[in-house]
Amino acid sequence: MSYCVNCGVELHETCSVCPLCHTEVHNPRHPADENAPKPFPVRQGAVAPVQKADVLILISVVLAVTAGVCGLLNLLIFYGTYWSLYVIGGCVLLWVFCLPMFLPKISPYVSILLDGGGIAMYFGIIAWLHPGRGWYPDLAVPLTVLATGLILLFAVCVRQIHASILSCAALLLAETAVYTIAVELLIDRFRQTPPGLTWSAIVLTCCVIIDAALITILRHSRLREEVRRRMHI
Amino acid sequence: MKKRLNEKKPWYRLDLSAIVYPTLQRKNFSSVYRLSVVLKEKVEPDLLQRAVDETLPRFPTFKVAMRKGVFWRYLEPNDRPGPFVEPDIANPCMPMSFQNSSRYLIRIYYYEKRISLEVFHSLSDGGGAMYLLRTMTAVYLRLKGHPIPVGQGVLDLMEEPDAEELEDAYFRYASSKVRPPRSREKTYRIRGTREPFYTLNIITGVLPVQQVLSAARTYQVSVTEYLNAVLLYALLQKQKDDRVFRELPVSIAMPVNLRRFFPSKTLRNFITMVYPAIDPRMGDYTFEEIVLQVHHFMRYYINNKFLNADITTNAAVTRNPFIRVVPLFFKDIVIRQFYKRVQDKQSSAGLTNLGIIETPEEMKAHIERFDVLMGQPFSARTNCAVVSFGEILSISFASSIVEADVERMFFRKLVQDGIHVKIESNRKTEVR
Ligand SMILES: [Zn+2]
Repeated sequence: MSYCVNCGVELHETCSVCPLCHTEVHNPRHPADENAPKPFPVRQGAVAPVQKADVLILISVVLAVTAGVCGLLNLLIFYGTYWSLYVIGGCVLLWVFCLPMFLPKISPYVSILLDGGGIAMYFGIIAWLHPGRGWYPDLAVPLTVLATGLILLFAVCVRQIHASILSCAALLLAETAVYTIAVELLIDRFRQTPPGLTWSAIVLTCCVIIDAALITILRHSRLREEVRRRMHI
Repeated sequence: MKKRLNEKKPWYRLDLSAIVYPTLQRKNFSSVYRLSVVLKEKVEPDLLQRAVDETLPRFPTFKVAMRKGVFWRYLEPNDRPGPFVEPDIANPCMPMSFQNSSRYLIRIYYYEKRISLEVFHSLSDGGGAMYLLRTMTAVYLRLKGHPIPVGQGVLDLMEEPDAEELEDAYFRYASSKVRPPRSREKTYRIRGTREPFYTLNIITGVLPVQQVLSAARTYQVSVTEYLNAVLLYALLQKQKDDRVFRELPVSIAMPVNLRRFFPSKTLRNFITMVYPAIDPRMGDYTFEEIVLQVHHFMRYYINNKFLNADITTNAAVTRNPFIRVVPLFFKDIVIRQFYKRVQDKQSSAGLTNLGIIETPEEMKAHIERFDVLMGQPFSARTNCAVVSFGEILSISFASSIVEADVERMFFRKLVQDGIHVKIESNRKTEVR
C-alpha cells in the first residue's frame, strides 16, 4: 500500500508509477508487488474478422446461374448470334469487381490487376463479336493496360510510400496528362494520321501549370503548412 | 416442428435512444459499455457459463441479434449457441460487429474475482443491464451453493418475462404539448493525443461512500451534483492549462435514468441526456460557485415536466411520417452527421451515475463492489461512470487519449476535499 507523493491518492499494490501523474513510487516498506494479480489483465483482445464468405458464395451462385441460363437459352432457343457472351462476360466482370468487397484480405494490387484483365476481356468479347478495323489490339488493349498501370502506380504511392494529399494530387495530375497524350497518340496511329498533339496539349498545359504550383508548395514547408491549414477537410 | 413454423417469431423495434447507436458503428467504434461485479472469491468459468445459460432466456431483449429493415433496424431473437464466457482482455468495450459469428450483442468476461458484462447500447441502458448482471451473479452464487432469494434487482427465472420489461417506455410517457428548442452551442473539446485502435485507458478510483456523502453535504448538494461539479472544475482547469485561443463553455453530458420519474419496469433504454455547463467567458468560477450552479441546474431541469418535454422532442422525430418513410441508409447518414456535428460537440465529457445498487441481503456478503465503464468515447475525450454499492463508491474513467490530466485534476480535488481515493488502472505503468 503506497500513496502517490504528488497526488495524494492510494495506489494499487502492483503500481510502480502513479497512473495519474507518472510519479515513481519509492516506498522502502512496501515496494510494488510485481507478482500480485494486476487490476486489469494484459491479454489484448481483437475483434474476429467478419465472415462475409456466405455473401460471396451467394453472389457467385446467382451470377453463375444467370450466366449458365443465358448460355443455354442462346444455344437451344434464341440461337443465331452469340448474344449470351455479353451477359456471361458481364457476370464475370461483376464478380471480379465484387471480389475485394467480400475478401478484404486480397491484396489491392491483385484486385486492380484482375479488374484491368476483366475489362480487357470484355472488350475482347465485343471485338470478337464485331470483328473489323482492329480497334481492339490498337486502341482497347493498350489503353486498358496503360490505365491499369497508372492506377497501380497511384495505389503504390498511396499505400506504400504514404504520400501526402498534395503529392498524391500532383501525381494524379501527372498521370492524367500522360494518359491524355497516350489517348491522342494512339488515336492518331489508329486513324493513320501523322502523330501530333492538339487537344491533349491543352490538358497537358493545365496539368503542367497546376503541377508546377503543387511542387513549389511541396518544396516549401512553410507554404505547405499554410495550405494544409486553410484547406484541411 | 410444424408447430414451430407457424409460431410467430417475436421481434423488437429499436427504442427511441437505441436508434442512434448502430448508426455510429465503425470498424473501430461501437457504443458498448461494461458493468462489472467484483466478488470475494475467484470466479469459476464453468459455473459462470452455466449461470449465463440459465439466466439469459429470462431476458429475451438481451438474447437478440441486430437486423436491418428497409426503413429501420430491429432486434430479432437469437438462438445461436452462446454467448460464451471468455477470459478478460486489456482493452474492454472493443467494437462489436453485428455480423460476428454468433450475432450476440453482449459479451461476458471473467478475470480473477471479477465478472464483466459488456452490452451494446441499443439493447439496454446501464440501469436495465444491471438487472441482468445481478440476476446472473445471483444464479452463479446459487450454483456455488449459496441460497440467494429473488427481489431487489434479482429477477425470478421461473417467471415469464413481464410485457412491461420489454416495452419502449418512451412512447408511453412522451405527452408534452410543447417541444422546447435545444441549445446547439459548441463546447470545449479536450486536447490530447489519440491512442491507437484497440486501446482504452481506464482509471478507477475506489472511494468510501460516507466520505463522499459528507463532502457533498458540506456543499449541501447530492453526490451526483457534487461529482458533476468536480468534473466541471477539472475540465475548466484543463481548458485553462491548454491555453486555448478562445475559451468555450465546458459542459457534461449526463444521462438521467427516467425510471425514477416515470414508473416503468422496462429493461431497455429509458434515459435522456442533460447538459450541466459552466461558461468561463462570464468570469472565473470558484468551486463553490460551480457546485451551486450545477445544483440549481439539476433541480430546475431534472423533474418529470422538463424530462417529458425532452423525450417528446425526441419522439416527435420518429413519429413524423415523412421521416419514417426515408430509407434506412439515408437515415444513417443524416443521424450520423447530426451526432458528429451537433450532439457530440455539445459536451466536453460524459458522466453517468448509476446510483446505489441494491441486492438481496444474502448476496451482499459475497460482493466486494460494482464497477461501471462508459465505454470507448466517440471522439477523443474521457468519460466518467459512477456506481456505489455498500460502503464503496467506484468512479471509472474510460479515455481514448494518452494524457490523464482531467482524471488527475478530478481525483486531486476529491483528495483535497478530504476523501480517501484508491487508484487502479490498466494504463502502462512502467517508469518512463
Ligand atoms: Zn500521482
